[in-house]
This record gives sequence, structure tokens and C-alpha cells, in this order.
Amino acid sequence: MKTTFAWQSLWRGAAGFAFLLVLWEVFARSGLFTQAITPPLTSIAKTAWEITLNGTLPKNAAFTLGRVLLGLFLACLIGIPIGMLMGRIRAMERFFLPLVSVLMPIPSLAWVPLFILWFGIGEVSTTLVVTYAATFPVIYNVWTGVRAVNPLWVRAAAVMGAGQRQLFRKVVLPGAFPYVLIGVRLAFGRAWIAVIGGEFLASPVWGLGRVIFDAKEFLNSEVMMASLIAIGAIGLVFERVVFQVLEQRTVARWGMVAMARR
Amino acid sequence: MRKFAGEALALSAPFLLLAAVWEAVARGGFFPSKLFPPLETVFVTLVRLLVSGIIWANTEGTLLRLALGFLLAAVVGVVLGILMGRFRVVEDVLLPAVSFAYPIPGLAYAPLFMLWFGLGDMPTILLVGAASCFIVILNTWKGVKAVKPIWLRAAEVMGAGERQMFWKVMVPGALPYILTGLRLGLAQAWRILIAVEMLMSVERGLGWMIFGAQQFLETDVMLSGIVVIGLMGILLEKQVFERLERYTVVRWGMLTA
Repeated sequence: MKTTFAWQSLWRGAAGFAFLLVLWEVFARSGLFTQAITPPLTSIAKTAWEITLNGTLPKNAAFTLGRVLLGLFLACLIGIPIGMLMGRIRAMERFFLPLVSVLMPIPSLAWVPLFILWFGIGEVSTTLVVTYAATFPVIYNVWTGVRAVNPLWVRAAAVMGAGQRQLFRKVVLPGAFPYVLIGVRLAFGRAWIAVIGGEFLASPVWGLGRVIFDAKEFLNSEVMMASLIAIGAIGLVFERVVFQVLEQRTVARWGMVAMARR
Repeated sequence: MRKFAGEALALSAPFLLLAAVWEAVARGGFFPSKLFPPLETVFVTLVRLLVSGIIWANTEGTLLRLALGFLLAAVVGVVLGILMGRFRVVEDVLLPAVSFAYPIPGLAYAPLFMLWFGLGDMPTILLVGAASCFIVILNTWKGVKAVKPIWLRAAEVMGAGERQMFWKVMVPGALPYILTGLRLGLAQAWRILIAVEMLMSVERGLGWMIFGAQQFLETDVMLSGIVVIGLMGILLEKQVFERLERYTVVRWGMLTA
């Protein structure tokens, strides 16, 4: 019963998607707008295939993804210790919290022009913006997570003679882990936006954002669409596959959060 | 009184430290002062821009665009979300497309929108609206789906018409989700608006001001702009987002603070 329902909704979803694609195709071929700016699916698919085969699309995607992952890594390197310290030590919280609350609401991309003046166009500025965008969700969620660790666990471990170090590694860190994951997941979403904006404005040599921006100059809308689809697909894969699996393997297996069935 | 002073000192300590470091770097001569101006230069510039009204004009432009873009997202998002929640056909057709478009950063559409609609205000508002409507759609849809079937059946049994059912059961039931969606949508709109302004060369706007100042190496103007953007962000967060959330939390008791 359950499976037939899933199949039915899958089938309906596919039909809905196909319907929209056909709608676009009709619209594109209707000549309402020139095909140079609303290309039909067939030519988008053809272009996507071509730039995948000659390696430019994978290369650009790899650069963009690499930048996001590097920024995310740096954000964790900065954010996790600061968040942990804020959650554990009152003085640290008092020091960092005002700074975080002031810097967090500034959209990361507002810094791009300044970063360009300071560090020039290219790799450094783009990566910095991505790091800026990703750091605050990490700090905020790690801080929340450490505070959400059940104080009873901490006391129990302390009573049973756990040292400061053991307490941290065996109780606080695993206890805060669900929040850390949420923070990293959120940070990925922010970083994924920031990298596109960063690539538009700070023009590094390779990157999907750069490709889209350049393709506009040459009215190459097939390339723009193909790159957009690649951006969406990578984002979807990370959101639905990578983080989901990470969650299943860690916090769900430890029984800390109930996994919603999807 | 003494406690208050201590509190104020504790709150300002991190900023004072940061300011001292900034000042030291600015005066240390590591960077040309044109690129890394001391704080008093930034402050003087900020006051100058405030007095001459340049900041106000730009802020007004940005806020107007934010309001219109968000309004667009709210209307489109809530209407589509409710339709998707109510009618199976609409859900089947739109859900795959919405789920696919949702993770694409709205900013990535910017060059496409430039080709389609040109530069200026209209494409900026459209893009901000398009970028922030997906999260509103998804939350509204989830909210309508989350209305308990037993409420619907109860209302039906008691003789509610289609219309009453909608206004008295469906909408209040889904409202907490809708408000959450709107809150997230507004945050999303704010985050990309500044960048979109840089790309779309709007007439007035804080993003455009920063971007323009870069061409003339006016780092002090850029920093003033960032300060104003930060203040607006805090105001939005404290006055709008948190209020919206508290409103949902308190009134319906469906979430815990």
C-alpha cells in the first residue's frame, strides 16, 4: 500500500515536471521572444552535453564547489572553537556575542567591493566572502548546541570523575553535534549563495558564477541555463544526499534525533 | 546605576578592542590609508553623508526595493503555496519544479534577468521577489498540509461551507508556517538585495553606493555603507523577524521559544 502510494506520487511528479518542460519548449519556440534569450530545451541540452564533454562545465563546477568547501572548512575552523568557547565560558560569551550579533546581519556580499580593494580580484576575495558567509551560522549553532547539552549529563560525568578534557570530548562535543550539523548545513546554503555573488563580482578565472556572468556578455543563454542547472543540481545533491547521509550516519544512529522518513 | 555602567562597559569592550586593533593597523602604515582609513575618517565621512542626505536617499531606495520585492514574494508564495496545499493537480505540477529551483541561489539568475528585463529597478525587484518566494511557497504548502484532517472533518460535519472552511480552518491552521516562511523569505530577500543592487546598477541604493565608491577608492564611504547596512540588518532582525516569530509563538503556542 505504502509503496504504491510512493510510486504514484513519483509518477505524478515526473508528469508535472514534464508538463512544465513542454510548456517552456512551446514558449521558447513560439517566437514571442528571440531564441537567443529564451533558448529551447533541445539546444540547452545540446550545449550542456557539449560543455560537459569538453570539460569546461565539470572544471568550473569543481572550482566553485572547491571554493565553497574551502570556505566551509575555514568557517568550521574559526566557528566551532569560538562557538564552543562561547557556550562553555561566560566571559567568552560576553565578549563574542555582541560582535557576532553585529556582524551576522551584514550580508556577506556587501563586503565584496572592500575585499576587492584590499586583496584584489580573484581567488582570495571570493574565498574570503564565502568564509564570511559560512562562519556565522556555524558559530551561532555551535554556541546554541553547547548550551543545549543536558546539564545532567555534564554533572553525571563530572561526578563519575571525568576530567575537563574528557568531559569536553565525551559529553559536550557529541551532545552538541546535532546543532553543529545544522550549523554546517545552513552554512553550506549561505556559502553556496555567496560563492555565486563572489564569482560575479570578484571574477576569479574559473567558476560557474563567472561562466554565467561572462555568457551574458555574449548572449550565450544556453550556457547560462546549463550552468544554472548545474548549480541547482550540485546544491540539491549536497542538501539531500551528503548532509542527509551525514545525519543518518551520526546523530540519527546515536539516537539523538528522530530521522524523518522521506 | 553602577550595574548599568558595568553592563555598558562589558557590552562595549569587544567593540573597543576591535576599534583599537583597527586603529593600530590603520595607523601602523601597513596599508595605504586610502585603502584602510582610520576610524575617525570613517566617522567623519559617515556624518558628512548623513548630513548631506546621501545615506538617507540610498537607504530609502534599498528599503523600497526590499519592501516591493518581498511583497511580490509574499503574494506569489502564499497564493501558490495554498493552491498547492489545496489542489492535488497544482501540487503535482509545481512541487518538482519548486523543489528543484529552491536550492539554486537566486543571485545566479541575475545575469539572465538582465538579459530578459534589462537593468534598473524592475529586474532588481523581480529578482529579489523570485529569489525569496520559493521558501514562502514551500512553507505555506507545508502549513496547509499540516492542518489536521480532524479539524477539517469537524468543521465539515458542523456544516461549514467551502469558503468558511478556507478562512476559518485552513488559513488559521497554516498561519504559523506561513509566517515562518515569510520571515525566512524576508531574510533571504535582504541577504541578496545588496548584491543585486551592485549588479543591476540601480539609481539609488546602499549596495550601489558601496559599489560606486569602490571605483573612486573611497574606502571610507564603503565602510560607512557597510555600517548602515549592518544597522539596518540588526533593526530588521530585532524589530521585524523576532516580532513575527514571537507573534506566532505566543499566539498559537505551536512552537516553543
